[in-house]
Amino acid sequence: MTASVGVKPGQHALAPRGRGAGWRSRLDGAATPTRLGLLLAVLVLFSLAWGVLAGLTATQHASAAADVVAVSEPLSLDAEQIYTSLSDAGATEASAFLAGGLEPAAARQRYQADITQAGIKIEAAGALVGSSAARTQLPGHPANREASAGQAIGDDLAILSGNLWAYADEVGTARTDNRLGLPLGAAYLREASTRLRDKLLPAAGDIYTRESALLTSSSAQATGLPLVVVTVLAGLGIGYVLFRSSRWLARHTHRVVNYGLLLAALAGLVSLAWLAGTFTLGRADLLHAQQQGSVPAQAFARAEVAALQAHADESLTLIDNSGEDSYQQDFVAETKLLGPGPGTLLAATGSSQAAAQAQAWYQAHKALRAQDNGGNHGGAVTSAQTGAAAQAFSKLSATLSEGITTHQATFDSSARSGRDAFTGLAIGMVVAALVMVAGCAWGLTRRLAEYR
Amino acid sequence: MNARRRPWRVLAAALTASGLALGAAAAVAAPGQPDASQLAVARAVRAPAAVKAAAACNPNASSLRPSGPPQVTSGSFMAKIRARGYLIAGVDQSTYHFGFLNPLTNQIEGFDIDVIRAVAKAVFGHADASTIHYKAISDAQRIPDIISGSVDIVAHTMTITCDRLQQVDFSAVYFEAHQKVLVLKDSAAASLASLHGQKVCATTGSDSVTKIVAVHATAVQVPYWTDCLVKLQQGDVAAISTDDSILDGLAAQDPYTKLIGAKLTNEPYGLAISRQHPEFVRFVNAVLQQYESGGQWKASYQHWLGPPQPPPALQYAS
Repeated sequence: MTASVGVKPGQHALAPRGRGAGWRSRLDGAATPTRLGLLLAVLVLFSLAWGVLAGLTATQHASAAADVVAVSEPLSLDAEQIYTSLSDAGATEASAFLAGGLEPAAARQRYQADITQAGIKIEAAGALVGSSAARTQLPGHPANREASAGQAIGDDLAILSGNLWAYADEVGTARTDNRLGLPLGAAYLREASTRLRDKLLPAAGDIYTRESALLTSSSAQATGLPLVVVTVLAGLGIGYVLFRSSRWLARHTHRVVNYGLLLAALAGLVSLAWLAGTFTLGRADLLHAQQQGSVPAQAFARAEVAALQAHADESLTLIDNSGEDSYQQDFVAETKLLGPGPGTLLAATGSSQAAAQAQAWYQAHKALRAQDNGGNHGGAVTSAQTGAAAQAFSKLSATLSEGITTHQATFDSSARSGRDAFTGLAIGMVVAALVMVAGCAWGLTRRLAEYR
Repeated sequence: MNARRRPWRVLAAALTASGLALGAAAAVAAPGQPDASQLAVARAVRAPAAVKAAAACNPNASSLRPSGPPQVTSGSFMAKIRARGYLIAGVDQSTYHFGFLNPLTNQIEGFDIDVIRAVAKAVFGHADASTIHYKAISDAQRIPDIISGSVDIVAHTMTITCDRLQQVDFSAVYFEAHQKVLVLKDSAAASLASLHGQKVCATTGSDSVTKIVAVHATAVQVPYWTDCLVKLQQGDVAAISTDDSILDGLAAQDPYTKLIGAKLTNEPYGLAISRQHPEFVRFVNAVLQQYESGGQWKASYQHWLGPPQPPPALQYAS
């Protein structure tokens, strides 16, 4: 509906403004219907352009957010679980071995669960890497540059699946020999531990590092500002054009409001607000997911792996027959990485409880080593299995595991709500653009019709 | 067994043994390392002295003669051990039948351990597990641990050699081993020489490596003898070569292996004791005398190693 103020359209010949040559003056010199037709074409084009731009922006961010939840997060979770369950298997088996031929049933089950978990997760990660590789092959996908990372992860997974059964096989032989009372069992356990340390854990650690980086980069894609800023500026530009157009129409047609253009402007405003609002909310959720979720969860996971490796060292030093040997040196190296202290893994977790528990464990370990070096091997074994050292370690381990779980949950819920924020946004942008096209067309064809 | 024989150490040992005053004085003053002057003398008189001294150093008769039955005299090292409440023994944990951690009992057991028990019984007057603290150590740790005093005695399939005698004292010979070769039952090899060009396993830095390299076989070196058996089972090496005492223990863990070839070396085993405690060396030798004459040596041999054999005759330097 167009309001009329009593002046017939076309009554006012538009006076040239005397700006000289140029498109503006040529346009000014043209007849009003031509100018209206041109304006219509420009506004429709702008509305469509907005639809394409806003829709594209929405799709980019929605798919990046969906990628975080559907691919990157599960992959990094798989990688984390492969890494921690392999470390746990090593530590559990070494500790169970200390018990002699009759391994405690609980330790056996825990080892079995770790190996099964690692196997399942390696397979799951393989399938996911395959699907994400297919995804990155789409032309123009920003993740194309990550294709080489996918290749490296594939290689690591091949190392993992190739060595996992060999590791389990050696552990099995170690157990059998141990059960027969043969010292050969300890040699097989050392062999298995070496395979775990030299092949399995580095590959699992590499996958974890790469998956964490991919998670960070898909998260960065979903929360990146440049595209949204450009889109919002373009939206404001189009709004300005609409505003100027309705002013021009009002001046030249003597109608105060063109309802078609008003509708278009409203649709544009709503879509702009929707886009900006959704992005702000979704971005906040995703950033929260990262800062309060995946980053601390990764810190806890890395601390857990280092702690488990040091715990395995503690047992292996006692299984091995050389006191202050390479395993003890590795213990010292791992605990140096673990901290607490500036720049250490425990410092990255920010957990003062874990820091205190680590110190308590180191104290117990020191006492254990003193016992072993003083010739009290039995006392040291008891400490490592059920005594002071074992209890101190399990407290630390529980804190670290809980840290992983809690932050993983935070990440999960925040990332999901971030992804959900983008739901329907792309379609909304397209629909809004179509409404704008319709509004412009309607508003201006009404004016054009008055010249026929 | 397992000595890293450095030519200069052998020479230094030879010099001392042949009674050169400078060498002897330096060895007493610094039992750990021969000093520079000693080396200089050793190098200067290389050829003739080495020949003369090699005959003079006899690992089989290098220990101190006991003065009667074992007695814990006041102020002696034995009295110190008794006051402490336990003997600290450096032992092996992975050599089957000599010193190994039995997974069934979680106790360290074996032929070497039986000797340690006899020593502890003589010190404390009664046999009680609490009177011995076992410290499981590697081959390479044996001499450093004795020198530092972190163990009182080492019973660890340890060969008495002239260069080791420079650093620690040994008891009289309580066991005689010989380097041999262990292969899988289906192996065609008849001796170490027939393995030239193939991979043969030994522990890192052990003397067995010398013989392996001498027949142009490739020496694969690992930390422990049981690691060698893992390699043999996995097909990574064609054979293992070391003392028959150790190889017998490996063969007992895998019935699909066999010992081949002639005795390549003589490896007299002794209990290592610090040079600071000659009275403890004499005490231990007295214990060994009773241990052998009382039939315990034979019983232990029969229990761990096979059909009874006569124990080696105890010989002393003086």
